[in-house]
Amino acid sequence: MIARLGLPRRLDWKGPLIATALSVAILLPLINVAVWAFTEVWRYPAVIPQKFGLRFWGDMLARGDVREAMSTSLSLAAIVTALSVVICLPASYAFARMNFPGRNLFFMSFLTVYAFPKFGLYITIAAIFIGLGLIGNFWGVVLIQLVSTLMFMVWIPVTAFQNVDRRQEEAARDLGASPLRVFWSVTLPQALPAISAAVLLTFVNTFYETEVAWLIGAPEVRTVPLLMIRFINSELVVQYGAILSLAMWVPSFLLLIAARRFLGAQALGRALGA
Amino acid sequence: MSSVDATPIGAGAKARGAGGRRPIGLLLVAAPVALVLGLIIWPVALSVFDTLTVHGPQGLEFSLEAYRFFFTDGFSLRNLWLTIRVAAICTVLLLVISLPIALYLRFSETRLAGYIQALALFPLFVPSILLAYALIRTLGPNGTVDTLLVAAGLPKMPTPYLTPWGPIIGLVWDNLPLTLLIVLAGLANVSRASIEAARDVGAGSLTILWHIILPRIRGTLLVAASFVILGLFSAFTLPYLLGPAAPEMMGPFMRRTIIEVDDPVQARTQAVVTFALCAVFALFYVRSVARSRREQTS
Repeated sequence: MIARLGLPRRLDWKGPLIATALSVAILLPLINVAVWAFTEVWRYPAVIPQKFGLRFWGDMLARGDVREAMSTSLSLAAIVTALSVVICLPASYAFARMNFPGRNLFFMSFLTVYAFPKFGLYITIAAIFIGLGLIGNFWGVVLIQLVSTLMFMVWIPVTAFQNVDRRQEEAARDLGASPLRVFWSVTLPQALPAISAAVLLTFVNTFYETEVAWLIGAPEVRTVPLLMIRFINSELVVQYGAILSLAMWVPSFLLLIAARRFLGAQALGRALGA
Repeated sequence: MSSVDATPIGAGAKARGAGGRRPIGLLLVAAPVALVLGLIIWPVALSVFDTLTVHGPQGLEFSLEAYRFFFTDGFSLRNLWLTIRVAAICTVLLLVISLPIALYLRFSETRLAGYIQALALFPLFVPSILLAYALIRTLGPNGTVDTLLVAAGLPKMPTPYLTPWGPIIGLVWDNLPLTLLIVLAGLANVSRASIEAARDVGAGSLTILWHIILPRIRGTLLVAASFVILGLFSAFTLPYLLGPAAPEMMGPFMRRTIIEVDDPVQARTQAVVTFALCAVFALFYVRSVARSRREQTS
């Protein structure tokens, strides 16, 4: 702004223009779905629904396939996240704090996750899984989804472990604390915010993962996104899809709140590969 | 090599953990490294090998037959060509849309900037399967846009649903936040002072953009384009749900080849072709991720 002091202050027309265009493009589709979820009758070409109501929510929640998909998706996401914590956190601690042969090479090997177009990679895995009979298998899906979590669960905690204040750890050691005690009471609490962010990202991304589930899991593994695909392809009642959309948005909403409070846009973007 | 080793932290660990601790580190990283080897490097290597060989009378023989089929099959080529075209259009659109937004966010301090940033990043929190549904309800036949057009007394629009423009709109929507963040990170290196200096000597906005800003973020734009292109070649959900059935993009095409046509060899050939086409972009992108990783730790 200082730069423009000398010039006559021009009207900021770009801001309102961008804001309006983005509002329409980003919000219109989402508001549309939200309105559909609370509509009982909306006949084309009325702009406003004829009748609002919650009638379809009861129907939706009573459907067996919806409940089954919810529990499949939640358990899939929980299992993948838990396994990822068990496998990746010790590894990220090792990368951050220990020295061992091949450390840099192994660390950089995780970059191969980004080096191939994902879907092509899944195809090459699927070709192997077909031979092993892992197609349509829940654990086959778990295994591949673990690969997608590596970037979150190894790389984010490594930075956190490296940024822990070493002087505090050494002070604790000097006062006679055991290494395990130091890790539990000094190291872990400092790294915890970043680790929680990684865990949340892993859970949310696994919950919404559609491509592996559809390629490797279908038709036996039925997750919420796959149910949504079925709704899009063959469900005539618009409200069902809208209600499922709203219900399945909850994990993303939690991530949104967490990102606003703890993460910040830049950190989140970096975690997702920007 | 990388600064991971050069950090004092690494040095400290070395000093304290000399000798006995060495194997423990290897043990702790074994499982995730095994995942990378077993589920990335091994399948890719095996696919490259298997698509380049056939069982002949004397055992395995080198053969380009699978690739010859792909590159002479009109159907495969049309799908590949569609993917390339969609990728090019999306890349251009994303850069053209995110650059002005990024410039505005970087160089203005109005209260609107916060709102714009929040809106532009919001797609990060909308899963693409939900987006597909929302776009069908909005842009599909008799969707919201049609409703609004009819209410305004205008004719309906030709719907982009089930045409190549369906996935294009969806993919641009979906990729906007991360593209924007990449461009914003690049713009952080363009100082206000340099722009003010140019403006003082009378340079117009376009001149400043062309001669001062663009040359400094050329690398960033390349990384952003690489990121988008990689994403486009692996896009599945949006092209599958919003795009035309024929020709189709490589994602749905590969799935159909392996699941419905039951031809794993051709599916893997298609996958290797996408790897090869994306190799240069993957290199740019991975290099930039590694670099920003290094800046983060050092």
